[in-house]
Amino acid sequence: MLNNTNQQNAIIEMQNVGIRYGQGPEILSDIKLSLRKGSFHFLTGKSGAGKTSLLSMMYLAQKPSRGSVSVFGHNVNFANRDALAMLRRKIGVVFQDFRLIDHLSAFDNVALPLRVCGMDEHEVRKRVMELLQWVELDRSIQATPATLSGGEKQRVAIARAVINRPELLLADEPTGNVDNDIAPKLMKLFVELNKLGTTVVIATHSEKLITDFAYPRLHLQNHGLKIFAPNDPTGLGVRHV
Amino acid sequence: MSKQQPVFIARHEELPLKNDSTSLFLQIMVSIAVFLFAVTLSGVLSINAMLQNWNDSILGSLTVQIMPSTNINPDKAVAETLAHQNKALDVLRNLDYIEKAQPLTDKQLEKLIQPWLGDGIEIKDLPVPRIIDVKIKKGADVDFMDLAYKLAQATPMASVDNHKLWLNKLIQFADGIKILALSVLALVVMITSGAIFYTTQTSLGLHKYTIEILHLMGAKDTYVAQQYAKRSAVLAFQGGIIGLLIAVPTIFGIASLAHQIEGGIIGEAKLSGLDWLAIVSLPVMASVIAMLTAYYTVKQTLQRMM
Repeated sequence: MLNNTNQQNAIIEMQNVGIRYGQGPEILSDIKLSLRKGSFHFLTGKSGAGKTSLLSMMYLAQKPSRGSVSVFGHNVNFANRDALAMLRRKIGVVFQDFRLIDHLSAFDNVALPLRVCGMDEHEVRKRVMELLQWVELDRSIQATPATLSGGEKQRVAIARAVINRPELLLADEPTGNVDNDIAPKLMKLFVELNKLGTTVVIATHSEKLITDFAYPRLHLQNHGLKIFAPNDPTGLGVRHV
Repeated sequence: MSKQQPVFIARHEELPLKNDSTSLFLQIMVSIAVFLFAVTLSGVLSINAMLQNWNDSILGSLTVQIMPSTNINPDKAVAETLAHQNKALDVLRNLDYIEKAQPLTDKQLEKLIQPWLGDGIEIKDLPVPRIIDVKIKKGADVDFMDLAYKLAQATPMASVDNHKLWLNKLIQFADGIKILALSVLALVVMITSGAIFYTTQTSLGLHKYTIEILHLMGAKDTYVAQQYAKRSAVLAFQGGIIGLLIAVPTIFGIASLAHQIEGGIIGEAKLSGLDWLAIVSLPVMASVIAMLTAYYTVKQTLQRMM
């Protein structure tokens, strides 16, 4: 059992969580997990291991088939729609398929999380321009996703995920499509955010990323979850981080 | 700030509802609904005005009818009928609640029966009743039974008609038409709301991907619902204006046709300034209905999503 301090500091807590789609078998079974505030983890596992399903529960797009999930201390199973929306505002997500809105410009896509919160347009413009400059997309602010390269789309998606200075950042293969010189810069952004207190979970297949950055690893295998210490390929089987 | 930053960055709507295929359908539906509503409403208001006119004009008046004498000598018959009329006039003019009692002239009587017997008739040659048009003082409480009794004592040939019988039948008929028209109005509102409900649902299906992203960014249902409500209100207002622009000349056309009907009964069905205000405010009403329907449809539909 977790002690009270751990529970208070837990950004995400999962107890006996299982996910199945329809009448099919469970994709994830008996997941127990507690992510402390300010922690940084990689999420690994083979394709189809359930990384995206686990992430989607974390960003509140999906409820568990069984068990309980708490995010920022709120039990997701019982939260109403408005409460879920307010929780999502604290979460930044980088999707593997970017999920940009095609008819919106790079600027408008990045501004989305700020606008849904009702932020003043002057402040929106200031923040978005700063971030787009940082990810080197300030020359493409009016470009729609269709005219951007894969790497540029990914940078827009990352900018959108971090624009609201989220408390929890979830990224699904965030450096998969970017150039080699951009990838370390983006990772540096995640690390900097983490130093400022953001809890980060990055799903990746990149062994290089895992070895270059010494953070613990959540590994999905056989429908379950194992936790590996930084740079520990054998795994410790620790349940709580 | 960067030097590359443009002076103006146009903000695009997250949900491109203006370009929806359902937008034109919604506008057409609302324009038809407002047209039907305006024409039907003008009919209901006209009937109301007509009933009010009838009531006002009839409440202060009554008719005394003097049956013609049966004397076979035409001249004597006329003289006897006129004598009975004078007796009735004496009674009427001595009553304090009577403002005026005026017998119809031969010419007025000829005009009354002209539609049935044609031109060139002489009223003196015909055994037709004489009629006295009676105006009652405003606010007077008339005991019609007592009046009929007094007239019968003066002359057995007199009878009183306070118009209630035929007026009640007309009112019943007009009320029936009114209920029918109000049912049509309710049906129009229901059909329009239904159309807005289904176009909104279709649009939600079309924009499901964008709405999901908005939700993931932390948008509440009201954020999406407000965009739909705003769009539906604008489209319904535009459609309503088109419907109204078609309805107004139609109402004038129907009114013009009604005025051509002889008898003057329908001619009294005029719309007041307030009636016209109600009619021209229909696009605003349509806009409000569309806005509320779209808002609650979105809220209800999104409840089924996580």
